[in-house]
Amino acid sequence: MKAFFFANPFSLSSLLAGVLGAAALAASLPANAGGNAAAGEKKAETCAACHGPGGAKPATPDYPVLAGQHADYLRQALTAYQKGKRKNAIMSGMAAPLSKQDIADLAAYFASQKSLTDKY
Amino acid sequence: MMAGENSRLSTAAVLAAALVSALVSVPSAAAEGDAAAGAKKIQMCQGCHGIPGFRTAYPDVYHVPRLGGQSPAYIVAALKAYKAGDRNHPTMRGIAASLSDQDMADLAAYYSGAGK
Repeated sequence: MKAFFFANPFSLSSLLAGVLGAAALAASLPANAGGNAAAGEKKAETCAACHGPGGAKPATPDYPVLAGQHADYLRQALTAYQKGKRKNAIMSGMAAPLSKQDIADLAAYFASQKSLTDKY
Repeated sequence: MMAGENSRLSTAAVLAAALVSALVSVPSAAAEGDAAAGAKKIQMCQGCHGIPGFRTAYPDVYHVPRLGGQSPAYIVAALKAYKAGDRNHPTMRGIAASLSDQDMADLAAYYSGAGK
């Protein structure tokens, strides 16, 4: 009974800490993970030359629409170009100088624009 | 003599025009996609792209891309890049490898049409 009294608060608090930690982690994962859309807008001028204003109107149909794309997918794509996991002569060069923060900001900005839709 | 020269010139002009039109018609013939045919080919896509908010879990966790309203030529280019190994996502490489050029064009026509 005494052991239960002492052990219980301990396990409760560690359980609580675990739950809170997991909740904080889960909350930080989906949205924009540190990306700032307003900062991204200023960094997106180079992108507009090919992907159009706001990434919504590509200069040629070979280039993707970025407006409304998932931020985490855009981060994944830019990082893949940077690491050579995606090979594209233009995008490898564009992605090379970007910092992690640049990538997060650009992804947050394009995700906040409207064009692409879910199509199932 | 003048007439012969003219006819030789016009023959050359016709040949040149035929050559140009043959060269020009090649790319457009390859890119014709049929959205209705594409709609019948999306079974493989739907396991991921057909689930609202779906995240791929391997090798990294992130949302699979939105395709509705995407540029059709870009969709084809992306599929070809997976097929050729220029993009490394394992699932997409496997799926793209099974697609013909016509399949890719049809799927691109389907997904590029905006809306649900």
